[in-house]
Amino acid sequence: MSKVQEPLREKYRSMTPSQFFYEHRELAGFGSPSRALYQTIRELVENALDATDVYGIMPRIVIVVEKLEERQDFYRITVEDNGIGINPKYVPQAFGQVLFSSKYKLRQARGRFGLGAKMAILYGQIKTGKPVEVYTSPIGFTKIYYYKLKIDIERNKPIILSYAEHDNKTLWHGTRISVVIEGDWSRARSRVYEYIKRTAIATPYADIVFIDPEGNMITYWHSIEKLPRPPKEVKPHPHGVDIEQLKRLIRDVKAKTLIEFLVSAFQGVGKRTAEAFLKWAGLNPSLDPHRLNDSLLGELARKLREYPKFRPPSAESLSPFGPEIIEAGLRAILHPEFVVAVSRRPKAYEGHPFIIEVGIAYGGEIPLSNEPILLRYANKIPLLYDEKSDVAWKVIDPRSFNWKDYMVVFPAPVAVLTHIASTKVPYKGVGKESVADVPEIEHELRNALREAARKLRLYLLQKKREEEAKRRVITFVKYTPEVAKGLATILGDIDEKTVQEMLLSAMKRRLRLDDEEFAKLVQGLEVSIEE
Amino acid sequence: MSIEEYIDKADIEARKRALQVFRERFREILEQIKRGENPTIMLPKRTLANTIYDERRKLLLLGPEKLSRSFFDLHESKKFMQTLLMARIIYEALERNEYPTIRDLYYRGKHTIIYREPGGRKHEENTWDEQRESDSVIRDIEVFTGLLREEMLILSKEKGKVVGNMRIRSGGDVIDLSKMGHGAYAIEPTPDLIEFVDVDAEYVLVVEKDAVFQQLHRIGFWRKHKAILITSAGQPDRATRRFVRRLNEELGLPVYILTDADPYGWYIYSVFKIGSITLSYESERLATPNARFIGVSMTDIFGYKRKKPYLTEQERRNYIIKAKDADIKRAYELRNYKWFQTKKWKIEIDIFLERKAKLEIEALTSKGLRFLADKYLPEKIETGDWIE
Ligand SMILES: Nc1ncnc2c1ncn2[C@@H]1O[C@H](COP(=O)(O)OP(=O)(O)O)[C@@H](O)[C@H]1O
Ligand SMILES: [Mg+2]
Repeated sequence: MSKVQEPLREKYRSMTPSQFFYEHRELAGFGSPSRALYQTIRELVENALDATDVYGIMPRIVIVVEKLEERQDFYRITVEDNGIGINPKYVPQAFGQVLFSSKYKLRQARGRFGLGAKMAILYGQIKTGKPVEVYTSPIGFTKIYYYKLKIDIERNKPIILSYAEHDNKTLWHGTRISVVIEGDWSRARSRVYEYIKRTAIATPYADIVFIDPEGNMITYWHSIEKLPRPPKEVKPHPHGVDIEQLKRLIRDVKAKTLIEFLVSAFQGVGKRTAEAFLKWAGLNPSLDPHRLNDSLLGELARKLREYPKFRPPSAESLSPFGPEIIEAGLRAILHPEFVVAVSRRPKAYEGHPFIIEVGIAYGGEIPLSNEPILLRYANKIPLLYDEKSDVAWKVIDPRSFNWKDYMVVFPAPVAVLTHIASTKVPYKGVGKESVADVPEIEHELRNALREAARKLRLYLLQKKREEEAKRRVITFVKYTPEVAKGLATILGDIDEKTVQEMLLSAMKRRLRLDDEEFAKLVQGLEVSIEE
Repeated sequence: MSIEEYIDKADIEARKRALQVFRERFREILEQIKRGENPTIMLPKRTLANTIYDERRKLLLLGPEKLSRSFFDLHESKKFMQTLLMARIIYEALERNEYPTIRDLYYRGKHTIIYREPGGRKHEENTWDEQRESDSVIRDIEVFTGLLREEMLILSKEKGKVVGNMRIRSGGDVIDLSKMGHGAYAIEPTPDLIEFVDVDAEYVLVVEKDAVFQQLHRIGFWRKHKAILITSAGQPDRATRRFVRRLNEELGLPVYILTDADPYGWYIYSVFKIGSITLSYESERLATPNARFIGVSMTDIFGYKRKKPYLTEQERRNYIIKAKDADIKRAYELRNYKWFQTKKWKIEIDIFLERKAKLEIEALTSKGLRFLADKYLPEKIETGDWIE
């Protein structure tokens, strides 16, 4: 008889979200001091943008990173915006309670998880013991509110260390938040600069000022006045629903029958659609949704996902850049000779609407490179890490996309901007750094790239033609004096000038150029012969 | 008295004709331009692929392929310019009674075109860089105008020499080629301007080697055997070829060619006889299709069937040189040329490839100058022991 192992006595405990995320901070991008410095800037800047452009405010954002005197590796990061501010009631929770957010809505935003700012605060607090300081004033408020806060990690609750109110004579609105963290500027520097540059590309309507710990200041002033279309909040689409969500919707929506519930809970579902669906699903329209048991709920969720005739998800919740903004951004920052951008029509995967946008910048100050420079964005956030595992790379990779067909031969000066706007971006991890290859998204990206690349091709073709025409004209013009002199000398009855003029007009005819075009091509061309 | 009065009438006539041809040919180009067309010079292609061996006339000729060189064609534009530049220089030289060499023409036409591109970059470009380029343009002009360079009074360094019982008129002087002492008459670059006054000879012997020519001259070979003795001193130049051709064509003298017994010697013979690949456009005027290869042949050295060799076993051992790889390679090349595919040449080349042996003419003079002059040559001519 074998001896049966005595079962181990397991210890059980629960964890608050703040404990969990502190312990697994690398999941949220706070794995090392240099990464944490970059991630902190990113979270604060994204909050600032969420508080401005979404509400029709042209963002003015100041980012300051300072080295503290007391310790070499302590940095204070301050981000100030001119956004909508935060109602003072919510400030402690917004910054002192993990998983508290105003963005748990079905509309596109940069933040989503109710995590970003808190992770920075949490990380700073543990590493440096310093609290977060916030000044804020919502639009129309006559006071500026000040909080000094810490997070009670065990209980996931804010601890208010100090509070103050100041007069707001200028009616300033916005938020200014400062955290102190342990960082590593020398390692983070290039990423931080890259991040800010890429943010500026995507927000050509924003003024961004950045002051680094060495005292360098860099500014990106807005180059257009136009803001992207703000996203609207929408109801969920039936294709994206699961049991838990269904339960929550039934609880929130006051409906007595199944048909009423469907009409009021979901987007794009009217009475007729609801009836047709219920008939197809074999469900009684007058059932009370509150009475459905788990197996019926499961059945309903599955059928909702499978029914093929729902209208496609609404894209009103999305806020794409639009071609104008992409082109302005690429032009202002990369100084290319040519830009083109396309915004595709909305599409959906698993009930989530999305819009793909692609911009291509070519030539000018863009350096030559063996592969395209890729600028990835998801819900307007630049993505910097894990580029090669992103679906966007898969699509633009010269090994899979035939750039030659579009007259781009590497090494080439080409940058590609990709943007996926969605109520749910399928990130590969919590770190929000790369997008998974969902077939619908990949397909759209490829179509968008093709569409943009076709326009690039037209441009390059035109340019090549012009260059060739120019080369031809230069060649012919530079040899014309010799030819004219030869003919004039041999024939004797015609002078050189006349032959030259005859040659030039034959040349124009040959190249199908009118006088004006010809003059343009030879403008500044001088030919002389040293005998 | 002005210098013009010393110039030969024949030269003046030649110039007039050339100037006239130039004006006619280039008038066509001007007409094209006037009509707003792309000015185009049509030329036969001077490539090996467009070189044809005319079996009936036994000549290497330029094939029918034409090349159109247009000014408004990016890749031809420069060549077109060069052609007009060269044409002008030659034309001016003709007008001014000059006799330029091809090197002179190269220098006269070589200058720099300086141009500043729109946008500011300055470029410099030479009309041509090497003489190879300008020489090739001269050839183009020859085929375009149908005038050989001699007819345009362009000189080149000529090395052919002649002695014999014959009088010619050149530049207004009558020259007796039998009264050249130990020297010889240097065949002039424009042999077409020579007039044959009278001749008393039965055949023409062309010797590849200048040294052998001199030896035969000193022992009075040409006098005794009634021959016109010529040397090409290596690869024959155009003037020597033209001169030999005229002797054959106009005076009906058979022409025998004596070279080393190796592939290079054979090729020299074939240049006399049918023309050269690079200058195939001139074959019609320069080649002598009736020229005969008198020797030294492989069968002279080794014998063949009933023919007895001229050399003994011992002499062969002394004189024969082992063929080098380059000789062998050349022999294989020649074997591919149509005009070397006659029965007798096949035998020659096969013996050579089998024995890997070559021999210089000097071997025969070492055996005895008298042997060469009084036995070998007369016997071979008498018995018809040559290759056509
Ligand atoms: N600069 C800001 N201006 C206005 N509101 C802000 C700002 N920063 C943060 N907030 C509020 O705090 C909440 C929590 O922010 P955060 O922890 O970054 O989570 P998330 O951005 O994912 O919602 C946000 O949802 C927003 O309501
Ligand atoms: Mg956030």
